[in-house]
Amino acid sequence: MDIGIHGVCYRYPNEVEDTLQNINLRIEPGDIFGLLGPNGAGKTTLISLLVGLIVPMEGIIAYSRDSQVLTTAAMRSSIGYVPQEYAFYPELTPRQNFAYFGAMYNLSASDIAQRSEELMEVLGLAQVQDKRMSTFSGGMKRRVNLAIGILHRPDVLFLDEPTVGVDVQSKYAIVRFLKGLNRNGMAIVYTSHHLAEAEELCNRIALLDHGKVIVQGTLSRLLAEHGQRDLQSLFLALTGDAYRDQTL
Amino acid sequence: MLTAIKLCKHIRKVNIHKLTASLKKEFLLLWSDKAGLSLMFAMPLLLVFVITVIQDSALKVASENRVALLVANHDRGSSGEVLLDKLQASGLFELSVQNELEERDLNGELLSKGRLMALYIPETFTEGLEKSAREVSTLMLRDLGMDYDPKALVLPVKPSVSFYFDPVLQENFTYSIQSIIRAYMTNVETSLVIDRLYADTEIEVSPDLLKEKMLSNRVSINAFAASRGKSGLQPNSTQHNVPAWTIFAMFFMVVSLGANVVKERINGSFLRLKTMPTSFFLVIFSKMLVYVVVAVLQVALIFSIGVYVFGRIGLHPLTIPAHYGAFAMVVLLSSLAAVSYALLIGVFAKSNEQANAFGAISIVLFAALGGIWVPTFVMPDFMQVISKFSPLQWCLQGFYILFLKEGSWDDLKWVILYLLLFVGVCQLGIYLKLRAEKLV
Repeated sequence: MDIGIHGVCYRYPNEVEDTLQNINLRIEPGDIFGLLGPNGAGKTTLISLLVGLIVPMEGIIAYSRDSQVLTTAAMRSSIGYVPQEYAFYPELTPRQNFAYFGAMYNLSASDIAQRSEELMEVLGLAQVQDKRMSTFSGGMKRRVNLAIGILHRPDVLFLDEPTVGVDVQSKYAIVRFLKGLNRNGMAIVYTSHHLAEAEELCNRIALLDHGKVIVQGTLSRLLAEHGQRDLQSLFLALTGDAYRDQTL
Repeated sequence: MLTAIKLCKHIRKVNIHKLTASLKKEFLLLWSDKAGLSLMFAMPLLLVFVITVIQDSALKVASENRVALLVANHDRGSSGEVLLDKLQASGLFELSVQNELEERDLNGELLSKGRLMALYIPETFTEGLEKSAREVSTLMLRDLGMDYDPKALVLPVKPSVSFYFDPVLQENFTYSIQSIIRAYMTNVETSLVIDRLYADTEIEVSPDLLKEKMLSNRVSINAFAASRGKSGLQPNSTQHNVPAWTIFAMFFMVVSLGANVVKERINGSFLRLKTMPTSFFLVIFSKMLVYVVVAVLQVALIFSIGVYVFGRIGLHPLTIPAHYGAFAMVVLLSSLAAVSYALLIGVFAKSNEQANAFGAISIVLFAALGGIWVPTFVMPDFMQVISKFSPLQWCLQGFYILFLKEGSWDDLKWVILYLLLFVGVCQLGIYLKLRAEKLV
């Protein structure tokens, strides 16, 4: 599935300035696309637009497969979304969460059972699949959060800071797992503040600041163009080192 | 209903598998909420039981139990004693006679010794009654054209007794006690008037037969509770309280369901659902269905306790109305009204705290206005008008029509119409709010 983002602008109700201005990007099959930027740059807003949580005020986001534009329903069946928040029911077990979200993705009961077994095995959750998730550690919750988003084997997976607040082992497992998914053909769109992680994972990045895309392309090309040795120095060179504190 | 109608459009897209999964999820969430479950089942059961026992006891105080009455009889004549004999014989009072107490002591007795009521009969009680009897008798002699003593027509001081009561007693209760004492005093006074008349007219026959005829209550009151049925169903504390507090419990699910909806709206799972090929109507519809079943189960549980347990613990057993169809309709509509209101609160509230506080307070207000605690007919006129806006009032009306009056479909028509309207308004509010938030 291709995603074309053309001239997209967005402003939240009661805000005076656009959160996103004239965004133009293209996400192609096989990409691991990193949306990076300081706090308030507009990363989460852009992800929200891409997964259909909010609608652009200007511009178009087109989802297509084999040059055919997808309907909203088809798009929703073809994407997976892992929000920053824990997007499941902590009162239920992983198995019960998979059963519910799998059914919402129109998966059959047997498909849900088979895929959830596989995912729990790969993500090291097999021993706790029947325990209530309110008792889980942050890392376990992140892994279940991720697993629910890929239960239906989407073409594109959107991840909003998937490794925030987890231990090193869980972070390593998640990154390794994402690489595996990408090798099997799943495109990944990803936001993070962990630049080393993004450097390891992404084949293309877009750096956002103040609602605009400052630069985009492959990391090697961007580093060469700006004479920087790594992603962090590129990031600081382009966005500055001033604090970006935000109030709610 | 609007949610349901909109849902029908989605139902073609929603397969049974999705609906089953959604219902199962709601059931599991409910099952995991043990505090919410106890609030919905144990709390109302306790409430119904406690309120019924208390009201039953209050009725028994007035009808079966004897009322403790401290008496200080200082009457120099015999009428005070006669009055006390009559009060004792009535079986309504447990007299504690302490003639050594002065009137000034009675206030202290009530304040310091936990007595509830006291009666002081003054020294001049008989004297005053006799003067009063003489006045009445003299008036009769005058009007019959017979010789009379004009001086007897002037009554210097009316006879009186003093009644002291603890201010914690309800006003209507103390009035009832005073009315009973007054009735027996009238009895004593009438007896004296007859004696005086016989004496003044020099009738030599004993007046006992006339006294017996005049003083006995010769007109009986046959009381009937208005009812369509012929079963002779008698209103009692159980028939009043079980439906009333069951309705309160059904609506109080706003605390559990309202918070459940808010939680789902503000947590990440809802964000994820919005990106999925499904509709939030399915979520709302599943909640509605599960909680309507919960409300019906509340009714079944509480009413079963009323029918099968109350009789065994000294309370009146609950009598279920014979009109099962109408009964089922009122239960279903009341459940739908309670669930729709809870969902409305859930979609408008911005936090759990808001849903809990507003939901609980609004239900308490609706209950107060709706006649759950105090019947609406005793309220001021403007409050009676306001009470019409309480859904609990209409639910209660529906249950009372069936449980107390054995009413028919025709008697229920306004109740059904109002409840349908209320459910419709709530559903419209839910739909508009979800639409405003671009959730549907």
